Amino acid sequence: MGFGFLAGGALVLGVLVLGPILAHLARRTPTERQPFGAMLLVQRLLRRTRRRRRLRDQLILLLRAGAVLLVVLAVARPELRLPDASLRVGSSGRLVVVLDNSLSMSLRQGSPGAPVGASLLSRAREQALALVDELPEGVALGAVVTAGSGGQVVALSPVLTEDHELVSAGIQAVEPSFQATDLAGALRAARALLAGGPGEVVVFSDEAGEGPVRAAATELERLVAAGCRVVPRTLRSEQPSNLVVRAAEYGDGVEGGSIRVRLAGFGPDPVEAAVTVTLPDDGHMTAFVMVPPCIDALAEQPGDVLPADCSEAEVLFTVPPEVPGGVASVEVDDGVLAADDVFWFHLPRVGASRVLVVDGDPGPTPIRSEIYFLERALAPWGSLGSGIKPDITAPAGIHELDPERHRVVFLANVADPRPLADALSAFVRGGGGLVITAGENLTPERYNAALSQLLPAPLRRVRNLVDLDAEGGVPVVMPRVDDPSGLYAPFVRRGMPAFSEVHARRLLTFEPFEDSDEVHTLLALQNGLPFLVDRQVGPGRVVVLAGTADLAWGNLPLQSAFLPLVQRLVTWLGAGSGGSVARFSGVVGQALDIPLPAVGIEPLVADPEGRELLAEYKPGRVSFTPRLPGPYTLALPGAPPLAWVAVNTPPEESDVNRYADLAAVEAELDPQLLQRRVGLGAGALALALLLLLGQALIARTQAAS
Amino acid sequence: MITWDPEVLARIRRLALVARHEVEGVLVGLHRSRSLGPAVDFVDYKEYCPGDPLRDVDWRVAARSDRLVVRRYRAESVLPCWLALDASGDMSTGVSSPGPEGERPPLDGSKMGYSLCLTATLAWYLSLQGEPVGLFLMGGEGAPWRVLPPRSGRRHLSRILATLASVKAGGRAELGSSLSSLASRLRRRSMVALVSDLMEEPDSWAPALERLGRQRGDLRVLHVLDTGELDLSFPRVARFVSPEGGPAVPLDPAALREDFRDVVRAWRAELQQLVRSWRGLYLPAPTDAPLAAPLLRLVSARHLSARAG
Repeated sequence: MGFGFLAGGALVLGVLVLGPILAHLARRTPTERQPFGAMLLVQRLLRRTRRRRRLRDQLILLLRAGAVLLVVLAVARPELRLPDASLRVGSSGRLVVVLDNSLSMSLRQGSPGAPVGASLLSRAREQALALVDELPEGVALGAVVTAGSGGQVVALSPVLTEDHELVSAGIQAVEPSFQATDLAGALRAARALLAGGPGEVVVFSDEAGEGPVRAAATELERLVAAGCRVVPRTLRSEQPSNLVVRAAEYGDGVEGGSIRVRLAGFGPDPVEAAVTVTLPDDGHMTAFVMVPPCIDALAEQPGDVLPADCSEAEVLFTVPPEVPGGVASVEVDDGVLAADDVFWFHLPRVGASRVLVVDGDPGPTPIRSEIYFLERALAPWGSLGSGIKPDITAPAGIHELDPERHRVVFLANVADPRPLADALSAFVRGGGGLVITAGENLTPERYNAALSQLLPAPLRRVRNLVDLDAEGGVPVVMPRVDDPSGLYAPFVRRGMPAFSEVHARRLLTFEPFEDSDEVHTLLALQNGLPFLVDRQVGPGRVVVLAGTADLAWGNLPLQSAFLPLVQRLVTWLGAGSGGSVARFSGVVGQALDIPLPAVGIEPLVADPEGRELLAEYKPGRVSFTPRLPGPYTLALPGAPPLAWVAVNTPPEESDVNRYADLAAVEAELDPQLLQRRVGLGAGALALALLLLLGQALIARTQAAS
Repeated sequence: MITWDPEVLARIRRLALVARHEVEGVLVGLHRSRSLGPAVDFVDYKEYCPGDPLRDVDWRVAARSDRLVVRRYRAESVLPCWLALDASGDMSTGVSSPGPEGERPPLDGSKMGYSLCLTATLAWYLSLQGEPVGLFLMGGEGAPWRVLPPRSGRRHLSRILATLASVKAGGRAELGSSLSSLASRLRRRSMVALVSDLMEEPDSWAPALERLGRQRGDLRVLHVLDTGELDLSFPRVARFVSPEGGPAVPLDPAALREDFRDVVRAWRAELQQLVRSWRGLYLPAPTDAPLAAPLLRLVSARHLSARAG
């Protein structure tokens, strides 16, 4: 709201207010002298009427001065400038309707569980149609939606047209989308329709979320600079609220774990919601969770608060023992905004052993068998079914390695890895973890030849550190508590001393190497020789234990550190393991560029409804823009999927609260654009007359009394 | 000493004329005159006792009733009268005919002129009644005597008239101290006729009334009122100032007239109550009314008082 004068210069006439004041003062000092013999009574009279006369005098003076000022004010032609977004449109003769059909516009009035009324988009559509109907003939009209079918802003008419029915039909046909609000793109399209000239742009939008309005500031500035007026017609739910699944991920626990789901509530009140996880095999799990209001956090920190700062609710779902891998979903039904109720996420195959142990030296007794100790470490309770029961195979059975199933491979004292090299290399480069344990069968030269791309450093030889028949050996150096690898996280509190008793009598040595970003010495002996070395290979890792997994070269399997170390190795190495099928994630409306496993193949892209999607193929890559949330597949005809893509709705659209005001942004650019001017001159003149009348009445009353 | 200038002589003659004229009017109203009035007043009869003077025996009664009765009379004493005249500066004003400042006031219209005529008439009347008359001036200038103790005789009356003809309004009356001073001069029961506009705070002179009462003063207050002045009948806004001094007060007469009338009403009621509380007689004397009116009321009241006494 503002205030101004059309003829501000006239305000200098304000000095006229001195007139009544001077007259008042002059009236108080008459020049004529009147001898009077009853001054005693005059004194009594003055005492009696002093307060009343003073009040009346001051009131009269005030009214007279006010009247003069108001007359001066009226001459200066004052005007009040009021913000008004509901200005009459169409006066410019060129108008573009911008209709926000983003995801948040599907919001319905009401609260989660009790929705009422039509969606914001329906209301916007009705208002837009009513606006078009009211426009006088001859107004050139265009329409733009903020989210088109291809994820791009589209104009419903290629040029401005005077055929209002055509535009009305286009507006009537606008469907809700799952995409984010591209207000900037819509304004750009509107500017294109107006050909950079003046006109009006009426925006029907909820202006929800933090980004869209601010991102549109530049386009808004360009429109304003071009002489356009942007008239926001904001649609609001009375008390907007929305529940949304912010994230869901499969845990990395040794036991196969659980699905961790995080939810947020963009509303004023906490809401108890039913959360349902649907597994790839259509199995369902449901839990109830109380979701705190996010709006409180936002209200405390208005302005630049990101939705990520909101309080979230978290719920864990324990996954059944066996679940096929694929794209799973989490659904929270709030009823007010159904479009973002389902969140899609990748779930690896659960239930099958994730560890393959390649036994290169089946021992005749348990203490001479690496498998014995590894099995006990991975599944300490054996037949009780807990822990990890590894798949065990001989080197010849390496074909059992299933990247979809196994996440870690133990190569235990395998003599010749050359037949396994390709499979292992692909496995590691696909994100798998490989653990190589030493032994008498291991031949450094063959390993160096076959697995040189995977080994942390070339192997050198096997050497005795002490007499093999002697007791003890060379102890290991206690690992650092703050080891950056994270391998020793389970030992941080009290487990570290368990390493003090570990010692080695015989060791596989490496060619000299330096630790780097790629290669880390995880454990070393006190004589400086590396005992446990790790190398990052793409998304996968390779760990070499320079000792044996049995008691042949040392006492590690008997130490208390062995069991948690092996289990931690599996967790650590298997966390990021994917499988043979590539997994990608995407957002509706955002183009995806997916690498293909081979050049020259052109897999078909199928959307969640199984329809083939138009994609763009480049050598080794495929690009497409998803329009719907859900699981997408890339597959060659007649073959299993090459990749799964979990596509979700834009997270920013789930926040249905309003953080920026299009009208306010425009007002900053040009304060006069959205203002209604109210002239105050006549009012001031009328008021002046009233004041004069009032003072005359008071003066008359005073004279009469 | 009297200044024998023509103006004073003329004023004396005028005062004497006015006084005689008014007194005759009053006497006609009362149907009595000094020449016809007895020296003593009959009261009742009593049985003759040896030793009673024979000239007091009512022979007519004895002839009709065959018994001797003696007439009894109440002896009429002489009542000294003090005429206390307010000649302060305020008395020189008045809307009807304001007198020029520093000059002797005209004898008709102004408060001072009216007061002079009233006082002279009173002196003439009382002197004619054989009462000793005294004059006590409060304020005023130019008078040959400020105090003339009560005496009888034409010569004393002339002296009073000459004093009245000479006095000019001025200064302050100081009613409180003046009346106290007058009270101290009362040696016996006396009548005190106060001729004044009473323009001093009553609280300042109320104690003097008490003292007058203690000294057996028979108080008659002749309150000289200028109707125009008390109606605030002035045409224009002006700075009102008292001839006795003090700050000038700017006033809009038209705007304050009603309030002023209320003040006047309250003031007069206050004065009336005050005077009555000391067994005095309050007699308003408007300057636009005939002199005879207050005089007749005063004389009637005096006779009633004399009979009651």
